[in-house]
Amino acid sequence: MKLSFCAIKKTAFAVVLSTASLGSSANSETLDIGVLLPSPIADVGWSHALVEGFNGVKEKYGDDVKLNIVENIQEGPDADRIMNKMVGDGNKFLLLGSFGYMNSGLKLAKRNPDMSFIHASGYKVGDNFSPFTAKYYEGLYLMGMAAADLTKTKKLGVVGAYAIPELISSINGFALGARAVDPEITIDVIWLNSWFDPAKAQASAKALIANGADVLFSNAQDTPSVVAVGEEAGVYVFNLNSSMSEYAPTKYLGVVKTDWGPFFSASVDAHLNGNFEGRNEWLGVDAGVVVTEEWSSDISSEMVERIKTVEAEISSGARHVYDGPIHNQDGEQMVAVGERLDDGGILGINWHVQGVNTPLPK
Amino acid sequence: MQLQFERRDTPSKPLIFATPFIAIAITILLSSIMLIIQGKSLQTTFFAFFIEPFESTYALSEVLLKFGPLLFIAQALAIGFRAKVWNIGGEGQMIMGAILASSIPVYFTDSESVFLLPAMILLGAFGGMFWAGIAAFLKTRYNANEILVTLMLSSIALQILYFFLLGPWKDPMGFNFPQTVMFQDAALFPPIIFGFRLNYSLIIPIFFTIFVWIYMEKRFGGFQLTVGGLAPRAATYAGYSANGAVWKSLLIAGMAAGIAGMSEVAGPIGQLQRSVTSGYGYSAIIVAYLGALHPLGIVFAALFLSVIHIGGDYALVTADLPISSVHIFQGLLLVTYLSSYTFVNYRFKPRKTRVEEIESRLI
Repeated sequence: MKLSFCAIKKTAFAVVLSTASLGSSANSETLDIGVLLPSPIADVGWSHALVEGFNGVKEKYGDDVKLNIVENIQEGPDADRIMNKMVGDGNKFLLLGSFGYMNSGLKLAKRNPDMSFIHASGYKVGDNFSPFTAKYYEGLYLMGMAAADLTKTKKLGVVGAYAIPELISSINGFALGARAVDPEITIDVIWLNSWFDPAKAQASAKALIANGADVLFSNAQDTPSVVAVGEEAGVYVFNLNSSMSEYAPTKYLGVVKTDWGPFFSASVDAHLNGNFEGRNEWLGVDAGVVVTEEWSSDISSEMVERIKTVEAEISSGARHVYDGPIHNQDGEQMVAVGERLDDGGILGINWHVQGVNTPLPK
Repeated sequence: MQLQFERRDTPSKPLIFATPFIAIAITILLSSIMLIIQGKSLQTTFFAFFIEPFESTYALSEVLLKFGPLLFIAQALAIGFRAKVWNIGGEGQMIMGAILASSIPVYFTDSESVFLLPAMILLGAFGGMFWAGIAAFLKTRYNANEILVTLMLSSIALQILYFFLLGPWKDPMGFNFPQTVMFQDAALFPPIIFGFRLNYSLIIPIFFTIFVWIYMEKRFGGFQLTVGGLAPRAATYAGYSANGAVWKSLLIAGMAAGIAGMSEVAGPIGQLQRSVTSGYGYSAIIVAYLGALHPLGIVFAALFLSVIHIGGDYALVTADLPISSVHIFQGLLLVTYLSSYTFVNYRFKPRKTRVEEIESRLI
């Protein structure tokens, strides 16, 4: 018995030692792009859309770029180490796919001036560190119009991840669009405090339906849970980032898609040309990043026409979602007639527009 | 021939040292099958797990960064486990320590006082002790099961954390995200090597380990605790207080977990946020048992667990392994280790036939 233990011991050493001579070596010819994601890539959703955004880059550069993806990494102290490792392994361009990676990412960017960083949903900027966000609210305004066309109860429901400005401004856009069509419409919101919690998302969606909502908005949930509940209960439902129509074949209202392709390609080009500059990238309908599509065939043709017109106006700049007059939940006027909420006001927004019933978590 | 499981008279010394290697060998064997099915490179994976954590100063500093809190909490928990006081709420005690300690940089944002850090350590210790103290009170007064109480208190602590982050302590410039301001330098442990996250909080667990070793092995108080766990009746006859053991075990563990939680927010994280514990409260239970509840064993166990954790993070990047495979690998290692360790105290023996048994009795 003792002998065989020794034998096992020796094999264990041998395996460990034989691997010791082999390290990973980075090829200096190709550009290694590191991608750090907060949720599994899956077939749909946020992380999926981010990875899809590199398709154009891969097509253009072929084998000269290599994508190194690490998915499902919680925002926290361990993410910092994984980022460091990605840099150490020779990735020169890093996509950080979640708000919570901001502070660690910025520190890393300062230490590696030869690298370029793009960071989703943040607000801090560095010389080689660009936060990027989509103007979801532009697409949401159009969705609000479509929802107003279809709702019978005049109640809309939202399942939201975190009450951060990006999501608050989306809900406001949704409310403004819907109430531009029918001012009697109200909106209820349930916050999950998670990007990824299918069980809670489903329970919340059911609660909203029980409360009378007949159009649901899955706000930044990375699973089709809310969409599936909508189909099951027979209420219209839509989501962000990538199409989930296969989970709601009859009740899918449409999708506010994010096509990161144009922005990612431009950023990688800039990095390779040596002129990448960190700045706040805030991209909407006119940049081709926010795309509303897959409209439900139940929407009346007049409304489809109206939506097309408004979309063209937003794209050309003739119309802005946050044009006054806009009142907050308490009826106070926040934006006067003829005025427009400035970018800073939208990026840091912490109030809901009139028509949203639920107060913000305080 | 049938086999029977029999307790050894004395633990097998050679096996104590062989066990880790046996466990590693079996894990490598089993996970190789998994990796081959996945089509991943065996060499790159094992290299990432066992060599990369030692490859650079940075990697080593990260191993030690994880080592600190694991060692600290595991040493403290082991004291209770030896006295048969099952505190599995280290997680909640960590959170309460982190919350209380964070109150100082949150309310004194501009202070650069040298007393900031010591005050935070004290508050962190108090937070953890208070939370563990609730369990001790309910146990000694109402005989409430401390396993349930400490575990449930962890869930409550998490909700208290969310309350502060979503409400009163939210960073006013943080775009409504559930987190506090970044702490000023005076409220952070200084780094041991500039630019790395490893910091001087590591000193506390090391001194604590020395203290525990002396206390448990050399002092009467430690002896009382151990006897209370091994032979409760004997302890009662000898006049050792059972309630005292509960209070001592829980308060020491609460203090350690609280300071560990404080060291996370005043160390690698630098602010109070949703995830502050990295699961140390639970991992420390594994460390305590991997180390056979012995102060020195726990040092090695904490080091070992830190290494495979850092190795796991590296395997994600270099070996392109999905995070679930990393968890399977780490789980396999622990299961094989704990099951192999059984053979230190037990052995297989051929079962005697009925005739042989009677014969042996006659003799």
